[in-house]
Amino acid sequence: MPELKEKACTLSEAASLIKDGDRIHIGGFSVHNHPMAFVYELIRRGVKDLTLVGHVSSCEVDILVGAGCVKKVEISYVGLEEHGLAPNYRRAVESGQIELEEYSEPVAFERFACSSRGQSFFTTQEMLGTDIPKYNPKIKEMISPYNGQKYHLVPAADPDWVILHAPMGDKYGNVLFFERKQLPERLDETAGQSCANVIVTVEQIISRSRVMGLSHLNILPRFRTTAIVEAPYGAHPSSFIKLYEQDRGHMGMYARMSRTPEGFKAYLDKYVYGVKTHMEYLNLIGMENLLKCRVVGGTLV
Amino acid sequence: MSLNYTVYEAMAVAISHELNDNENWFIGLATGDATIQILSRVPVVGMCLAQLTHAPNSFMAVAGWLMNPVVSEIPTAMETEFGTALQFWRCESRATGYLAARGECDVGFGSAAQIDKYGNCNIVCIGDYYRPKIRLIGPINQPGHFSLFKREVIIVDHEKRNFVDKVDFISGVGYLDGPGAREKAGLPRGGPCLILTDKCIFDFDPETKLVRLKSIHPGVSLEEVIAKTGYTHNWIPDSVPETPAPTDEELRLIREVIDPRAVLIPRS
Repeated sequence: MPELKEKACTLSEAASLIKDGDRIHIGGFSVHNHPMAFVYELIRRGVKDLTLVGHVSSCEVDILVGAGCVKKVEISYVGLEEHGLAPNYRRAVESGQIELEEYSEPVAFERFACSSRGQSFFTTQEMLGTDIPKYNPKIKEMISPYNGQKYHLVPAADPDWVILHAPMGDKYGNVLFFERKQLPERLDETAGQSCANVIVTVEQIISRSRVMGLSHLNILPRFRTTAIVEAPYGAHPSSFIKLYEQDRGHMGMYARMSRTPEGFKAYLDKYVYGVKTHMEYLNLIGMENLLKCRVVGGTLV
Repeated sequence: MSLNYTVYEAMAVAISHELNDNENWFIGLATGDATIQILSRVPVVGMCLAQLTHAPNSFMAVAGWLMNPVVSEIPTAMETEFGTALQFWRCESRATGYLAARGECDVGFGSAAQIDKYGNCNIVCIGDYYRPKIRLIGPINQPGHFSLFKREVIIVDHEKRNFVDKVDFISGVGYLDGPGAREKAGLPRGGPCLILTDKCIFDFDPETKLVRLKSIHPGVSLEEVIAKTGYTHNWIPDSVPETPAPTDEELRLIREVIDPRAVLIPRS
């Protein structure tokens, strides 16, 4: 009998799939569920000129922009919630280092759903009257032939690559989500269906037989995925909903250090360039800090 | 004059007076701890107070997804939208949000770095768009608050720089450049109804659509409000009433029923 193709690989092998100039979506929402282990590996590889197509972003966009990996960002929000504005993103936009294409939040979400339906654009009225279309030439105007009202046309997200962090999957690339999904997880599910090239990091790789017993959770079956990588605590310092909280101490430290380019460089040197692997990173963060973030029983609610 | 309540309590009471029964209310996430205080914690108390006094059939969505949570049991001070503690917060529904494009949402709460004389709001950038002096968070859900919701309550710290004649970027559409402009832009409904600060309340002249002073909070002088407001149009009516002070019953509900552990509003 012919063998199934194995898609499990190392972080480094998975990150090598992303080339300079690619258009990528990094999963997660605000300070939650970002595939940070993968992001750090991209920075260590020195990838350049990325277009980040997303919706609501925090540390994952800020650190990639600060590390000089990004040419353009398509987005509705970049900020650090309670920790304030995103310092590297702010510097890069203020100095004209990166290009922006902005949308309102629900519109930025819908761009991925639009891609998942195989459509090229959709219509909306929620940005009428704002200055967003003035600075975003992708947004066009039309009058509905059905009700005579004014609408904006918005293009689909159409990323080249989608990278997500998920709870578990098997080495063949089946990816399981928890049963009850909130907004960040639903957005990841949609993003995983918006693109032919999907890379997923997971908290744990589990056996195929266990996947077959949990088929109702198999939201991204293996035909959708290109590579799968085991990366426990792979979303740190963002939270991973139901399993661990945002590391607020670390995120606060990131925000403080990033206030100056020198401080940000010291952060990168220690936490990104100073470690060779994800395990070295976790050792640097330390067992005590990781356990403090853990949520026992988070999957029960 | 010494007051027997705090400014945040007064703001929560003012919010409750703006809300009606049978409405749906919405607050999302905020950035920076000071903004979380006025834009998340204070409105939650105001919405809860409205439900306890005159609006039992209303729905509030907190953090965008927790509908009618048991506010007295709030597990954290709402630092993050999907924090795990919030997952354990008991609430009436978490299955669905409002269908804003269908007009299901009556009132949203928002803030801004700049609010202009027509109530247009800016949370995108200060200065030129391409080389801004300060880059802010981006539009996020502010456009929808001002175009799809039925009305928006703007809450802001009363600083001169927040009140400008013209915003540098319109992310929340007020009355644009005057009467008829929203309709011309094709907006289906909505717009700002109030600007609530720690000093006073502004509303909008129904004829001119210009911001005007509606009331000043007890203990605040008109001179103080003028010194901290950047508008150059005539925004001060001939007589300006005092914002109604919280009643003893409203204060009791806030301190004993809604926020008994002082998680949302500090006691002093």
